[in-house]
Order: sequence, then C-alpha cells, then structure tokens
Amino acid sequence: MDEEYYSSERFLNAKKEMDKLVEESLKSREQKQNVFFTKLSDVTKAMSEGLINWSRMNSLWPLQFGLACCAMELMDFGTSRVDAERKGYLLFRGTPRQCDVMIVAGWVTKAVIPEIKRMYEQMPSPKYVIAYGECATCGGPWFESYNIIKGIDQVLPVDIFVAGCPPRPENLFGALMKLQEKIGGKVED
Amino acid sequence: MITRINVGPIHPGTHGVLRLLVDVDGDTIKKVEPHIGFLHRGVEKLVENRMYLQNPVYMEKLDYIAPLAFDELYVSAVEAAMGIPVKERAQYIRLIQLELQRIASHLLWLGTLANDVGQLFTIFMWAFSDRDKVLRLLEESAGTRMFYVNQRMGGLIRDQPPDFAEHAAPLLDYLDQRIAQFQEVLEKNPIFTERMKGVGVLNREDAIRFGVTGPTLRGSGVDYDTRSNQPYYVYKKLNFSPQTRGEGDAFARYKVRMLEMKESIKLVRNALKSMPEGDALGMQIRLINPVPKNRVVTVSRETPRGEGMMYMVADPQRPYRLSIRSPSFINLSVLNHIAKGHRFADLFAILASLDPVMADVDR
Repeated sequence: MDEEYYSSERFLNAKKEMDKLVEESLKSREQKQNVFFTKLSDVTKAMSEGLINWSRMNSLWPLQFGLACCAMELMDFGTSRVDAERKGYLLFRGTPRQCDVMIVAGWVTKAVIPEIKRMYEQMPSPKYVIAYGECATCGGPWFESYNIIKGIDQVLPVDIFVAGCPPRPENLFGALMKLQEKIGGKVED
Repeated sequence: MITRINVGPIHPGTHGVLRLLVDVDGDTIKKVEPHIGFLHRGVEKLVENRMYLQNPVYMEKLDYIAPLAFDELYVSAVEAAMGIPVKERAQYIRLIQLELQRIASHLLWLGTLANDVGQLFTIFMWAFSDRDKVLRLLEESAGTRMFYVNQRMGGLIRDQPPDFAEHAAPLLDYLDQRIAQFQEVLEKNPIFTERMKGVGVLNREDAIRFGVTGPTLRGSGVDYDTRSNQPYYVYKKLNFSPQTRGEGDAFARYKVRMLEMKESIKLVRNALKSMPEGDALGMQIRLINPVPKNRVVTVSRETPRGEGMMYMVADPQRPYRLSIRSPSFINLSVLNHIAKGHRFADLFAILASLDPVMADVDR
C-alpha cells in the first residue's frame, strides 16, 4: 500500500494540481486589463486589493497558545494527519509578534483574561480571532461556574466560532478556510 | 546577584497555563515558585448540584489528556457508594480502554518532552501520528474521539464492536515496533541523553515524603502501583507487573513511561485473548437506584499521571461532597525541590518529565 501511496505518479499529479490551484486562485482575483494609473496612490490601492490580500490569506500564522482540552486537538491540527501547512497555516509560532490568527482553545477564566488581552495587543494588525470549542464560544459546560466568562467574544472581537466539545481538527481546518474567504474571497478545496 | 524571571502563564514550554517565578543566579536556578489557578473553575462545587449521571462530563475535563481515567474513577466511586457490581465482560473492556488511553497519553507526553529538550518536531510528529491511530481504535471501541462519557454504573453504554480484536492486533504489533524505534532514536542520541540523565534527581525518601505517585514515584525506585497494590478489575489475572527504575532522574521517568507503554500493550493483548462472552451493558438510567448503600466512599485508580483518588459523601440523587486527589497537583509540588541547582534550560525538561496537566491541578 505504501509504495503505491508514495509513487512518483502521485507526486506528479499533486504538483499539477497545485499549479492549477495557484493559477486559478490568481485568476479569481479579477485583474483589470488596460488600466492606466495616473497617481501612485492608485497603484498602491490596486495592489492592496489584490496582491496583499492574496498573500495575507495564504499565509495565516496561528499563535501557539492553548488553554485547556481543545489545545490537544489544536496540537493534532499541526501534525501530519491534518497537515495544516498545505494551506499556508504554518506551524504554530511561539510569540504573538509573528502571528496573524489567535485561536482561543479552552475555557477562559477571570484570571487569564488580562494575559489574553496582552497577547492580542502584541499581535500586529490585521489580526483575527477564532473561538475554538464550546467553552470559548459560550462558556460550554461551565456556564454556572463563578470563575468562567461565557465566551471569549465578551473580551475580544471574534471572527469565526467553531462548535464542538472538542471540535475535530478538521473543523479547525474548515474554520481557517472560512477565515480565508472572509479575507480575500472564495477558496477552493 | 539573584534575578527573578517570570515564565508564563502563557508560554510554549509550560504545558498549559502555568506561571513560574524563577530566581536565578547567573544561569543556576535558586528557587522555583509555581503560581497556579489560571484554569480554576470550581468542579467540586458544580458537581454537588448535578445528578450522578450528569457528572462524568465534568470529570473527563479534569485530565484532558487521558479523559477516560477520571471518568472511570468517578463511575467506580458511584458504583462503590450504590453497591453495584461490575459485569465481568465490562471489566475487560474498561481495562482495554484504560490501557489504550494510557498509551495515547504517554505518546502525547513523549512528543512534547522531545520538543522541550531540543528534538524539534521529528519525535513530536511521529508520536502524534501514532497517537492518532490509538485514538481511532478507541473511537471504535468507545464511540468518540476525545471525550467518551461511555461508562455507566455496572458497565458501559455499549459493547465493543465484534471485529474490534481483529483491528486491534495489527496496531498493537505496530506500536511494539514503533516504541522500539522511539527508544533507538532517543536513547542513542547524545543531545537527548545528556539533557535527561542526572537532571532533576528525586531520591526515594523525598519521593515518599512529598507523596508523589505514578511514573514519578516509580522512577525513584518505589515499587508502588495502584494496579498491583490495590488491585481492581482483572489486572491480577492478566499478569500485570509494575515498572520501576532506581535512578530517580528525568531519564528514569522517561524510561518508566516507555516500559509502561509496553506493559499496556501486553495487557491489552492478554485481555483481548481471555475476554469472556456475555453482556457488558451498564444499567439503564431508570433502573439506577439513587439511594446509597455506603454514605462515604474512597476509591483510587492508577491514572497515567499517578494515583487519582475520589472521596465521596453520597446523598440520594446527587453527591453531597466530592473531593478529588489530583496526581498532577502533588507531582508539581516537587518541582522546586528537584529543579534547584540546575541550569535554567533544564527547567523545562524537568517540568516535562513530571507531566502535569494544569486542568487537573487547578480543578
């Protein structure tokens, strides 16, 4: 099975597919033909619409930061089965200064809110937040607890909510694809 | 001159939300002061307001790396209070699930430990892909990927699928090979052995005095394992033998966990061979008698991190008081004692070798 799986033919096909994907995603950013720019600011504006968004959405770097149970699935997300790198979600960074996406995985206690806020403020703009799992979305099973806030959206602006206790790593992959759509239009599978 | 360094609470090396205040003289650690409570949510209080069958959900989140261990511990405490016997086939299935869970937990620990001592990502990727295979097998047996809630008083919510043994056998063989491979890669690598051997030594007397349990205690040469000292289920029948090492350093703790994984594989194999036919289902919800026979019970089980214990004062319908002895909390208390005098970079190897789970520490 392994020989077949790793055959050179398969790799060639994968390369072709990859090239096709890149071409199509470039095509989909409607590039206007025969445009004559009179001002330099127009050039930068056109670039910021197309190229910057394209590069931004294809290199989302998440922050290595886990609070509770969902962090286990977050670790699984970074490993070989899900293979997050193929879509540009690079391996988790240890510092917020290099990151675009903060994935809040786990319940948020009152003690940890200031730390999360500080991490968020250290991230360079534009920054995105994903609430991963029940606890970060709405408090989950701890809705009666005196020390848990009912969702990270009371503290930070959240872009994507992922439901589940815990959601499978594939769900996080889906969520990040949704985030890509939000940043720069439709994404192909 | 003594400098104080703050580590955490959100830090890649602290395995969760743990804050350490470290006093260093140059590069030598003088004192480590763990600050905990960042994940506190008041489980013991929440449990008092819910009925017996609603509580396993909360118990699984105590130790999220091995959820089944605490789920089973809680259900056993309720069984002891109500005087419900466990069916024999259910005992075997529980044992298989617990041991598979132990393997998955130790594999996760191995991956993160290797990351902490500078074996960046190779071992991590290997261990996680293997853990995923174990989790898939558990999913087949218990129903879900991470939080199972499949224990009922007297048994389980459902039996194993009939072809489970056929699926398990090749994976167990594969894991045997794989563990040997891990050991070869790690133990022949001077980067790994230099950073583990002679680091964080906990001698026998101190281990007993601090009350540590699990691989941390067995790495210090104390032959204590709840599975053999207070045997439950069918561990005795399946020739279980606890694994110990005498050195007491981080490498000994690593070695104990590797040997434990092999022992778990052996146990699962034996259990699959000698599993009796019959019924494994637990009691239906309407049949459970909520009136306790024993008002006060104490049950202890060997979780992957050490001896978990539950003290329960039972009322009709819901527990009056549930006190949890979490192994991670007590194992973490030894950190200052064994990290003193080492280099700052060794702190994370020592912390990883204790393997604490912060949700379990903070409760």
